[in-house]
Amino acid sequence: MALAAYLRVWLASARYSVVRTLMFRGDFFIWSMVELFWMAVNLLLITVIYQHTDSIAGWSEYEMLLLVGTAMLIQRLLMGFFWSSLFEMGRNVRTGAFDFFLAQPGHPLFMASTRKLDLDGLLNSFIAGGVVIYAAHRLGLHPSVFDIALYAGLVVAGLAVHYSILVLTMSLSFWLKSAQNIEGSYFTIAEFSRLPREAFRGIASVAFVWVLPAVVVGNAPARTLLHGFQPWWALWLVGAAAGWVSLAVFVFNRGLRQYSSASS
Amino acid sequence: MLAGVNKYRHAFLVGLQSSLVYRWNFAVRGFFSLFQLVLVFILWGAAYAGSARIGGFDFSQTVTYFTTILVLNFFVGAFNEDYQISEEIRNGLINQFLLKPINYFLYRLSIFSSARVVSGALVLLPLALVLPLLHHHLVWPHEAWRFVLAVPALLLSALVQFTIAYCFGLLTFWFLEIQGFVILSMAVESVLGGQIFPLDLMPAGLFHVAQYLPFYYQMYFPAAILTGRIGLVATERGLGLELAWAAILLGLAQLLWTRGLRRHTAVGG
Repeated sequence: MALAAYLRVWLASARYSVVRTLMFRGDFFIWSMVELFWMAVNLLLITVIYQHTDSIAGWSEYEMLLLVGTAMLIQRLLMGFFWSSLFEMGRNVRTGAFDFFLAQPGHPLFMASTRKLDLDGLLNSFIAGGVVIYAAHRLGLHPSVFDIALYAGLVVAGLAVHYSILVLTMSLSFWLKSAQNIEGSYFTIAEFSRLPREAFRGIASVAFVWVLPAVVVGNAPARTLLHGFQPWWALWLVGAAAGWVSLAVFVFNRGLRQYSSASS
Repeated sequence: MLAGVNKYRHAFLVGLQSSLVYRWNFAVRGFFSLFQLVLVFILWGAAYAGSARIGGFDFSQTVTYFTTILVLNFFVGAFNEDYQISEEIRNGLINQFLLKPINYFLYRLSIFSSARVVSGALVLLPLALVLPLLHHHLVWPHEAWRFVLAVPALLLSALVQFTIAYCFGLLTFWFLEIQGFVILSMAVESVLGGQIFPLDLMPAGLFHVAQYLPFYYQMYFPAAILTGRIGLVATERGLGLELAWAAILLGLAQLLWTRGLRRHTAVGG
């Protein structure tokens, strides 16, 4: 299937999602509140800690707010574009409803990842963006257009990493048929992207900075706003995104071989 | 009387078998919960680097608090009971309980208890693996009364947690989809239950108000008793309030059940 055809499929899915959201407006309101509340929880944690200390690993309160806001922005974009579809993937594999995606004329991962768009997640990404702008304002930052463009590009690369981790997590369903709620594992890993690189030492540094890309996802774009273009950080995140997307596609494809359809 | 107890004992045993089917689910969850502890180490370790004591407690006391919260979560926390109850109402599976001499609340409580036995046992395995790294940071108070009074506090905490989940599940009589409410409430419960940060780090006024809310008794209260964050007088007073909240929530659950059944339409077999 050509790229243009994929785009048309995605636009049709997006249109369906918008119509569906307009049909269930109360649901949209509740889920918007859910996301808002969880973002507030993260901000509250930072506020409470900074009431008792001036610095976390050398980061001031508003620097930390900018980092947390960036991590939240990436996560909200993931929620908006991919979460609902991938969340259902585990259940569909268990029930056999995944057959539906295999019968469609496109790569099953694309079909299973983009079926639904969550407008509440996308709406809250503006609020997360607002947190970043507020923190930048309090820090007196004046990033250039290039820095802002680079920040946006790194946020997209971070989104690719988060997407890959979620696909890897949900792909476990192909092997662990009786596993439920494994999507919670993604959230656990994603939480590390809210912490500054300097806080990681020893084995934690090896695991979460070098092996898992969790830390670089939030830190690379946030540092671009704080300190300008840093080639090492940008290359690191883009490289991690390419590597982890490849790994996720590979594991998903291997998982598909395990899938034994609705008749199992 | 014995027959009454016996049917819930059987429900407990069936629940135990059912939970064992999902042992991988609990095991994966238990394993990933260790990441939560790592997160605590990194974030709070960095915060303590600039201050030897936060809120009157040192780093080891904070690590002990979060480790206790993690373990309690698997022993007394409600996982997806609200969702299971909601599904039974939505799919009409609840109809079978309306025709049998069984109390749905007690039946569900039996299933919840068995699931917590399995999840609690399974979280101890990954925890045992990291114990050699962790035990230097685990500091427990020595007063014996803490471990005595923690028992009723934990039992009531489990009851409060389950009853809140049960009430949310019963909302399905009124709303088709309750997941939004549940996750919204989870955010509030996580903060006011002390799972995100120890509640005593909040400003004094807010901490005082939190003590009158049921969320305080879901997790923070038993954890605070066990880790020495509250004294004997506050514990005794807390137990009274916890009992009161358990009674209020049980009353609310009964009200929702009777009012909900009036709206319920049982179709088919």
